[in-house]
Amino acid sequence: MALTITCPICGKRNGYEFRFGGEEKGPRPEENGLTPEAWCDYVHLNKCVAGVQEEWWFHKDGCGLWFTIQRDTTTNLEAETVSMSKLATENEEAEK
Amino acid sequence: MKDIKRVSPVKLKSNPLKTEKRDNWDIVMEYAGEGGGPYLVDLSHKPRLDLQNADVGAITPFGMTIPDSPGKCILQDGLLINRMNGTQASIYNLGYNLAGQEDVMMPDETGYTDVTESTICVAIIGKNIFSICEKLTALDFMSPEYVAPFLFQGPFSHVPCQIVTLSKAGDDSGIILTCSRGYGRDMIHSILDAGDEFNLKPAGENRFSDWISHL
Repeated sequence: MALTITCPICGKRNGYEFRFGGEEKGPRPEENGLTPEAWCDYVHLNKCVAGVQEEWWFHKDGCGLWFTIQRDTTTNLEAETVSMSKLATENEEAEK
Repeated sequence: MKDIKRVSPVKLKSNPLKTEKRDNWDIVMEYAGEGGGPYLVDLSHKPRLDLQNADVGAITPFGMTIPDSPGKCILQDGLLINRMNGTQASIYNLGYNLAGQEDVMMPDETGYTDVTESTICVAIIGKNIFSICEKLTALDFMSPEYVAPFLFQGPFSHVPCQIVTLSKAGDDSGIILTCSRGYGRDMIHSILDAGDEFNLKPAGENRFSDWISHL
């Protein structure tokens, strides 16, 4: 099944235009008290979810944007994509 | 001191009828047997800049405002500015009324990179051009969602390109395409091959200048 990905700038495109950037793992851990083991786990361990997971993609053949999508790993279909305009609205609301 | 020689990566096999030397480029103004269109015009000598800045929307290159959202373009006085993403814009000096001003293309501010000689630039103009494009890319130029001028960034003949649609008006349609210089020969080959059934022919700069002056 061909993978399509919805870029927040360019819209829905062929998956071959993108580079996979790994699972979304949350913010980088605080360096104070960070052990090598904890850092290694953050960098290398993946959840490998069988289902919907949030992951990073890079539009290498297009606009050059890094963004996250929700993809169902069992069907290889997108579940949801956060658009730039929605992100901007959310950020504006958070700042209020 | 010897003059530098600037060489376009685009080689067209037609016979030049009229040529011109400008800013160390040898430019073909007219080819033999250009036909009635559509036309493929080499614009690789037109100065092109890449602009990067964290707040790129606040910059006014050559006094022009950069479009506020990615994919939008502005064409004014021969300068085409394309918003690429949140931090980047591209600027083409199509220069149909900036004759002799090619050497004042680089602004004094930081953030600009001259990409004229690292990319190719061609125009495909005339009738049936979107039928030709349809054979080479899945990008949907005819979607009513996009009003010319607009920028697509995506694969064209499998090569990452910037493609600006300047007109979707039937026989006066036209796009400008840029990609890395190294793809020049094969990109031209694939466009001419795809356009063969539509009678696509190489044309000189005069044909492009006439076309864009009527936009």
